[in-house]
Amino acid sequence: MTVATQTGGGGHVDRGGGGGSSGLADVVELILDKGLVIDVFVRVSLVGIEILTIDARVVVASVDTFLRFAEATNRLDLYGKGKGGKDLTELTQGMMEGGAKGKTAGALDAAVDKVGELLGGNNREEEQEEAPRRRRPQRTREREA
Amino acid sequence: MSPTYVYGLVRSDAELPEDLVGLGPSGTVSTVVHEKVAAIVGDVPLDRPLGTRDDLVAHEAVVDSVAAHTTVLPMRFPAVIEEEGVLEELLEPHHDRFVRALDQLEGTVQYTLKGRYDQDVLLREVVEEDSGVRELQERIRGVPEDAAYYDRVKLGELIVKALEERRDVDAKDILDRIGPFAEAVSATTPTQPEDVVNAAFLVRRDGAEEFEAAVEELGGDTHEWLKLRLLGPLAPYDFVPEE
Repeated sequence: MTVATQTGGGGHVDRGGGGGSSGLADVVELILDKGLVIDVFVRVSLVGIEILTIDARVVVASVDTFLRFAEATNRLDLYGKGKGGKDLTELTQGMMEGGAKGKTAGALDAAVDKVGELLGGNNREEEQEEAPRRRRPQRTREREA
Repeated sequence: MSPTYVYGLVRSDAELPEDLVGLGPSGTVSTVVHEKVAAIVGDVPLDRPLGTRDDLVAHEAVVDSVAAHTTVLPMRFPAVIEEEGVLEELLEPHHDRFVRALDQLEGTVQYTLKGRYDQDVLLREVVEEDSGVRELQERIRGVPEDAAYYDRVKLGELIVKALEERRDVDAKDILDRIGPFAEAVSATTPTQPEDVVNAAFLVRRDGAEEFEAAVEELGGDTHEWLKLRLLGPLAPYDFVPEE
């Protein structure tokens, strides 16, 4: 029985997981809220309980998301080949610098910093970009049947 | 009277890898056996709360290292019980339920597949195909940022909608193509518009190579617009039977 965990041969699929080789983002998504729950486990104090109750599966469709994509699309034109790219000038530039970023900063950035602190730093860029997640109220998970 | 961490459950005749490192101060991982079931256990740090990055990673590493060798029923993080409770409260009263669950999962592992659009490629496609998007872009151009705020929101909304429409089609294609190589599939709706698919597959151990090959082939066919990430083999986190 050979089940290898190393990188696959084809090279077009990014491989990970299996015995600690995953990044933190993968691990959090894999194990949180998953697995067998029996009502015999004692309540333990947790660090970063708010972070642990972030539900990564909540679908986020917000103004922030829309602005991010509007920005990405305009940036695309700016750097893209053709498709009107040469017509776009400083205006687009200004939009990129002062757009969605400024409006979502503040509370979210603080939250990200806190995540980073609690979990010992971000190991993937993506985790910082995915800050606008909704939080669920705290709840106790230890005694759920 | 010391607290014990429980990583998961295996059949008592299962062989565990020797190099498991737990989240406790000793790092050791051992088993407590009751008839046909064994709990994979270790010590717990007493001077701090659980939940650090290292704790999460250690839990996953132990459970998935075991999963690479044998069928394991993963516990939900964090599972702590008094030492004597492992037998008296966990294994003895729930023995038959655990055996049933292990039987159900016998010979299988989980793979998790995530697919994300290459953002630039997809956005280009949307802009080219959607005249509404192009019109809005034109209108925004030359307008001061604040004045164009609602148009920018509207533009983003159109793009997100276009991405989600594509995603529904592409996700179905992916699941139709990879699904037949799995015993069961559990797909969740991705959280970000550029995410196409996030699905767990329960795969027979003896079919793992074929499954991986199918994903590789899919990756080869789609790599120009889709980034695939395959995690596994893993413990069957998404397929733990509910009582």
